[in-house]
Order: sequence, then structure tokens, then C-alpha cells
Amino acid sequence: MILRKSIIRDMKQSKFQYIGVVLLLIISIMLYVSLSMAIATLDTRNTKFIESYNQEDFRFMVSEQADANQLSRWESAYNVQLEKRLVADVDFGNDATLRVIQTTDTINKAYISEGEMPTKVNEIAIAPTFADAHAIQVGDELNVRGQTLTVTGFMFLPDYIYILDKESDLLSDPNTFGIAIANEKTIQAVTEYPMIEILGDQAKDETIASLKEAVSNDFTILKWLNAEDNPRITFVESEIEGAQGVITTLPLFILALAIMMTLMIMKRRMEMQRKEIGTLMALGYRKKELLFHYMTYAALIGFIGTLGGVALGAALSVPLTNLYATFFNLPRISFFDWDVSVIIIGIILPVLLLLGMTYLVIRKPLSQAPLDLLSPKDMQAGRKSTIEKLPLFRTGSFISRFRLRLMIRSKARAIYIFLGVMFSTILLIYGFITYNAMDELVDTTYEDIYTYDYAVYYNTLQQEELDEGASGFTSSEITIDEVNGEKTQKENHKSMVFGIAPDTTFLQLLNNEGHSLTSKTKEGIVVSLPLATMENIEVGDTLTIRNSFNDRALTEEVVGITNVYVGNYVYSEHGKVNEFLGYPLNTYTAIWTEEAPITQENILFLEDKQDVIDNFESTSAMTRYSIIVIAGIAFLIGVIVLTLITNLIVEENGPSISLLKVMGYKDKEISKLVVNVYSPIVLIAYVCSVPIGMWSIEAMMASIVEQTGFYLPVNLSLWMVIIGFLIIMFTYYTSLFFSRKKLAKISLQEALNKQQD
Amino acid sequence: MGIDLTDVNKVYQSGEVEVHALKNASLHIADKSVVVILGPSGSGKSTLLNVIGGIDRYESGTIKVEGQTLHELKDKMLTEYRRHTLGFIFQQYNLIPTLTVYENVEVGRHLSENPLNMQDTLEKVGMWDKKDKFPFQLSGGEQQRVAIARALVKNPKILMCDEPTGALDEETGKKILTLLKYVNETYGTTVCIITHNHGIGEMAHSVIRMKSGEIVENYQNETPVHPERVTWA
Repeated sequence: MILRKSIIRDMKQSKFQYIGVVLLLIISIMLYVSLSMAIATLDTRNTKFIESYNQEDFRFMVSEQADANQLSRWESAYNVQLEKRLVADVDFGNDATLRVIQTTDTINKAYISEGEMPTKVNEIAIAPTFADAHAIQVGDELNVRGQTLTVTGFMFLPDYIYILDKESDLLSDPNTFGIAIANEKTIQAVTEYPMIEILGDQAKDETIASLKEAVSNDFTILKWLNAEDNPRITFVESEIEGAQGVITTLPLFILALAIMMTLMIMKRRMEMQRKEIGTLMALGYRKKELLFHYMTYAALIGFIGTLGGVALGAALSVPLTNLYATFFNLPRISFFDWDVSVIIIGIILPVLLLLGMTYLVIRKPLSQAPLDLLSPKDMQAGRKSTIEKLPLFRTGSFISRFRLRLMIRSKARAIYIFLGVMFSTILLIYGFITYNAMDELVDTTYEDIYTYDYAVYYNTLQQEELDEGASGFTSSEITIDEVNGEKTQKENHKSMVFGIAPDTTFLQLLNNEGHSLTSKTKEGIVVSLPLATMENIEVGDTLTIRNSFNDRALTEEVVGITNVYVGNYVYSEHGKVNEFLGYPLNTYTAIWTEEAPITQENILFLEDKQDVIDNFESTSAMTRYSIIVIAGIAFLIGVIVLTLITNLIVEENGPSISLLKVMGYKDKEISKLVVNVYSPIVLIAYVCSVPIGMWSIEAMMASIVEQTGFYLPVNLSLWMVIIGFLIIMFTYYTSLFFSRKKLAKISLQEALNKQQD
Repeated sequence: MGIDLTDVNKVYQSGEVEVHALKNASLHIADKSVVVILGPSGSGKSTLLNVIGGIDRYESGTIKVEGQTLHELKDKMLTEYRRHTLGFIFQQYNLIPTLTVYENVEVGRHLSENPLNMQDTLEKVGMWDKKDKFPFQLSGGEQQRVAIARALVKNPKILMCDEPTGALDEETGKKILTLLKYVNETYGTTVCIITHNHGIGEMAHSVIRMKSGEIVENYQNETPVHPERVTWA
């Protein structure tokens, strides 16, 4: 139909508006497709890797050596597969630790991505992320503890998908920690005291519990870790699960904005073309022909936006997957997973929504009689609404009354501006708070609360007297059983109990008011913030904890909640915890100290607090990068929405603007009268959005604490409010700049032409 | 067959006031004739054109156009009636601003099962040379020529012209009237012109005068003059 030609020309005339909505759609679909595809690829790689390379179901360490015969007995008695491996942590360079792990035959088999498996003495294969961080290549020779080790290849391990030194660590940092595999002799060559881990596979949940009991009858279990409690394995699953929310929520909100903007444009288009529609109807055009004509606008926006979004999203998913790969060590078993449902949802859903909503908007004018459309619209604009009868509208200067009236008469525009500013503000606040939260988490937890320098965990019970530079404590895995006599919200909620000296100077359990609760552990239990958030625990509640190894229970009153932001921890008095765990009164399993231990004997693992802090700080560059991306998206969306609306206002008020020009008003004055009218809305939207943003982020942090095990402190600083405000105002003035250009193009003749109409 | 109106009444509600736009209007318009409907503003002449053109409904009476009784037609059928029987020309031309002259005429051709040749039509109205121009590049007279071509290309039986010279000067207005006369003579199209310009009645085969919704005069003009010679009021 010939009318089709007018669509493109029409769109060219209002290109800012159409480009704006198409861009919004593209951003929405691109985010959805790229995140979905990256997550789908990650999921497939994870699933295939787990299955093909036999990821463990559990692992444990015992105080004495369990020989091969013992393992075989357990295997046949509990129908599980067990395999022993040696592990050694060795210093690498000045600041890094390399964990050398013995190659296995059945469980946690290594995937060699480049080079070969190390089979001979003094051969190792290392994780590619560690190799990248330390510029190591296949064939290089490394000096480790006086041994020259040849790098035979790069490898991935299914139990080190997220490479963490300790389970309590939060972030993976290849600069300070990495893994390698080698044969038994190589490990024995680099350390005198290798740790022995027993890996288990093909076990059912109830079998694991029975086996654990049997092991505890014969040996002292130093550590028992099921796969579902191992963050090196579960972080990737949590990420996949957690990403589902972001994949849908953020793009859906932008999609909703895009649809609202399209509907606003279409409504305006229908109003502008009333006479044309009436003429075409009078000439004999059928309603469905006109309906098809106007639906083509929405279809074009929809298809360009969705196809562009899908194409960009698919392209972006590749670097995004690679970015994920720097966090999660998953081999490229699959390179790019084409999820058909993502494509279908990415194209069909937005187009259908857009067409459906557009139909509802254009149906009304098209159902009018041609004569009504040909006649000038009722002079509704001349009537005063109730709001306009308020005294506010009768006082003040002409300019302020004119601006107020214009704003009141376009309530929908005001709402859209409000929503656009709100969306951008929340994104910005989210970025700022996350950025600040990382610093606060480190400052509070690792500097104010953990006042020690090293935590040394032993593989046997210790009872030697300690000097003033150290403090002994007991720690063990427990299950949170009941809160106030009722079963916990999370089933089989694993936690850690710390038995501490109430007068220790190495741990200041600060609460929200900044008071130390360490001495209060004599009176009851102190819990960490993530645990309190997950189980809704408040001071004064009673908490029942259960020993995972001997099933003994302890019920105590919660005397405080401490701002330890990382980990599900319960703190109580040392003697009480020892009694609960069945340890002699004066024994301890770990110490906090100011000095690093001289020998590695009996050491299960060593926590160097500075390493943890450095680890956080080295990842803050990544956080800064993501905040720039978030701020960029917030700015872009803000500019699009605001430009689109101010552009429409200029278009709508073309005749008035022209008339004002004829009367001698300058462009600047007209802009103040017509275009800048929404400045108060922008301000109000910003002021309202800051607390809304805070509230929603707090809710989000509370909801993700279960998946991540850490609670990011949500604190808003003045600098965030000021910088956020400056960005929003910059966004607003950028949009005004574009709209002023359109205003300047309005000719003086337009007023006369419209008067003739 | 022509157009027959019998006791047609039309009432508008304007706020709380009832406006009797047509009062018992009865008339006959012969096939292939030029009819001029005259009257001051508010006399009901536009309403008369609109009800005959099927873009407005009437309360009582009968209108028969080419054998079709309009009040019996539902909205969809009225669209088909306008599509196949009528051509409309408006005082403000109502061209589509984003289409060229040629494309605006194509808008009309698309509707017809038996359209006229595009080039012939545009040449007839003297706009072939400007076929690639957009409406804003044309004068008022030229825009009205395009509107005529758009109505004409459909090859309609009846051409409804609502103040076709209302926005034009005398010289251009007379050229447009000459064109309408030419269409009537060449294609046998019935041409209904509503105007407040009394002089235009001189070129018509029949003249209808209206006042306050009533037909006060309806007479045959035995000696219609050439449009160039009408007395321009």
C-alpha cells in the first residue's frame, strides 16, 4: 500500500523519538539475550564438566592416615567411590600461593585445555587464570621450594571451578592464589607435610550421613565438606541461579519503559494525523487497512529493536561468557550455546506486547467517525481542570503560571519523566552502594572486627600454652537447628561455631552501634549479620545449634548480632563450645596471632588477613568497571526517556512556539516556558528515588545473602547523593540540549499554517 | 439514477443546545450534472454534503444514491460506498504531507477497481511536472489540483466538493472550477459543490439554496456559464 511510504518519512521527521524507543528496546533485548546466553553457556559448560570429569559429592580429612584397605572397606560398606589425594600449598613469588593437587584417576579428574597431563616427577599443569596472572606459558620452568617444575599444560579441576583458597573466602584472585596438578612424588618433593584429602563420589545423601558417622567412630574428622557446601563448586550454581533474576527483571523494566514510550509516541501520532485518518476514511479506506498502516509503526519499531537487540546480545554474550570464564574456571567444552527459547522470547514477546498495546492505543481513534476526525478537536485545552483552579495557579508570574499549566496538562508525560529518572537513579544508587559496600565490608569485618593478622588452623587438637601474641579458639561446622524453638527457615542450615576467649583482643565483635560484643559471649551467643538476616534472628531470641559430628545440641540466648558481613557464624565462650563439641576444656583447634607460623607442621591451613584484604582490593577494579557500565546504562536510559519526552513536548507545542517566536520571544525564553517545565518533576523524582533505591537494594541484599553467604552493607553517603544528582542533572540537560535544537528549527510560518488548519 | 433525498432530518447536540442542521430536506440531483449548494455559514450545506457522502448519519428520511439507501448501510458498507462511488475534495485539501504529489494521487488509485491512468489524471490537472514535489512545496491552488486528481483517479460516479475554492484567490479558484467542469463533461461525473460564493451557482446545472437547515430554493439553471465567466463573490 502506498501509505507505507509515508511511515519511513514520518519516522525520519521525528527521528529522535523513534531512535529513542528503538534504542531502549535494543538495550532491553540485548541485556536479556547476552545475559541469558552467557548464563546458558556457563550452565552447559558446568553441567558437562561435572558429569564428564566426575565432580566429587563430598570430601573429608581425618587426623590420622586412612590406608587403602580402610577406604575399600568404606567403599563396599556404603556403596560409594573414594579416592585419596595429596595437597600442598606452596609460596609462589612474593605474594602468591600455589596449591599443588595430586592428579586423580576417578574423582575430580583434570581437564587439560592445552599441553599435556603431568605424569612424571617435577611436572605440573596449572590453572590458566593463574598462568595469565603470572605470565606462565606451557614449557616454562618454575622454581617451587627449590624444585624446578616444568609446566606441561593448562588444566581445569571440577572441584575448583571457583578458585578459592578457603571456603570462607569471598573472592577469587589469581594474582594471589592458584591451583596446579602434579603426581604424588612431585608433591612430596615440594612439601614435607602434604594434606591428605579423601574424595567421595556416587553417594546418596543418607549414605553420606552414615559414612560420616562411621568415619567419626574410627577417626577424628578434621573437616567434612559436602559438595553443596563447597563454595568452589556452588558459587557458579549460585551465580547461574542469581543471574536469572537480573536476566529478567532489568530487561523487563527497560522493555516496559520502551513500550510506554512507543505508546506515547503512537498516541501523539494518531492525534497529529487525525485529519489524515479522517480524510482516508472519507476516501473509502477500510478501518483494517488503516489499522494495519498504524500497526506497521509498532511492528517496525519492534522488529528493528528486537532483531538489533538479539544480534547485539548474541555478539555480546561471547565476551560476557569469557568474562565469566575469568571468574569461573570452566573449560570450553561448549563455546556458544544457542538457546532457541531465548531467541523466541527475545523477539516474539516484545513484538507481541508492543503490537498488542499499540492496538489498544490506536483502536480508539480509528473507531471514530470520519466526520469527527475531520472536525477540529474539542477545545478541551481551553478548560481548566480542578488542579488549575487552585490559588497557586492564580498567583505568581506569567512564566511560572504558564509552566505549571503546561505540566499539569501533560500528566502522563510527568509520570513517564518521573519513572525514567527513578529508574536511572536506582541504577546509579545501586552502583554507588555496591562500590561503597565492598570497602565497608573490608573495613568493618577485616580491620575493625578481625584484629588479628593470621588465623592458623591445625589438623589436630592443640593444648600448648600460648603467649600474649596469640589467642586460641575452637571452630567447627554445626547445623542451625531451631530459632525460638521452631525449625529454621533453611533446611539443614550449615554454619560455623567459634569458641572464643571473651577477653581476646584479636576479635572485636562490633554491633551496629559500634560496641564490642566479645565479652558478652560469656552470657550467650553472638551471631553474624548474614546468619541473622537469613533466619530473622533478633537479640533475645533463643538459638539451638547442633554438632554435625556427634549430634549434640546447644541452646543459648542470642545476646548480640555482630557486623561480621561474611559468613554464617555463631560465636560463644570457648569452654562452652569445647564442651558442646566434646573437646577437652583447654584445647583449641586454631589460633589468632600477630606473627606468621614458622613451621607448617600440623597446620591444616593458614589465613593471612592481609591476603584477604588485598584480594578484595584487587577485585575492586572490576567493581569500578561495572559501576561505570551501570552509570553508563543509567545515563543512556535517562537521556533517551527525557529527550524523547521533551522532543514530543516541542513537537506538540510547535504552533505555540512558532507564535511566541513571531511575537518576539527568544529561543532561550521559549525553552524556559515550554521545554524546561519538567525540572521540578526531575528533582522530585530524584529525591523520591534515593530512599526507594536504598529500600529496594536492602531488600535485594537480604534476599541474596542465602546464595552468597555475605551481606553487603547498604549505606548511603552524601557523596553518592551529590554525584547521583549531578549525573541525573547532566542527563536532563543533555536531553534539553537535543530538544532545544528541535525548537530552534521550528519556523515562524508554522503558526500561520496551523492557524489556517 | 442520481441522488434522491426525501424528508431528511439531522439534529446535532451542541452542549445543551439542539441544532436542527437539516429540516425535512428533499431534493433530486440528476446523474452527470453539476450541482451547487449555496448558503451562509451554519445553513446546513456541509451537513447535507456529509450525509450524502456517507460520512455522517441522519435521524430520519431517506437518501438514495445510485440505488443504495444510505441509512440501511452499516459502517462497513458505508466505507465500501465511499470507496466505490464517491470522490471527496476538501477546502483545506487534506493531502498527506509525507507523500509526494504522485503518491498522494496513488492513495486514491489504490481504492479503485477501475482507476484512471495516473499520468493522464495528473496531466489533466496540470500537475504531472510537479509529481515529485511534496505538498509543502506547492501553492494552495496546486494542492487543490492534487486533491482533485486524488478524488478523480478513482473514477468515481460522484465528486463531493466541500468549499473547493474557499481558500483560493479568484484566478486560482476559477481554474479549479474549470477543472471540475471538465471532469464532469469528460468523465460524466456528477459534481456536488458546496460554497458560500453565490457566483459559482452560475456554472451549475442546478442550484440549491439553504438557510437554517432548510432548502429554501432549488432550481434548474438552463444556461450554465463557463467557470471562467462566473461572478466571483
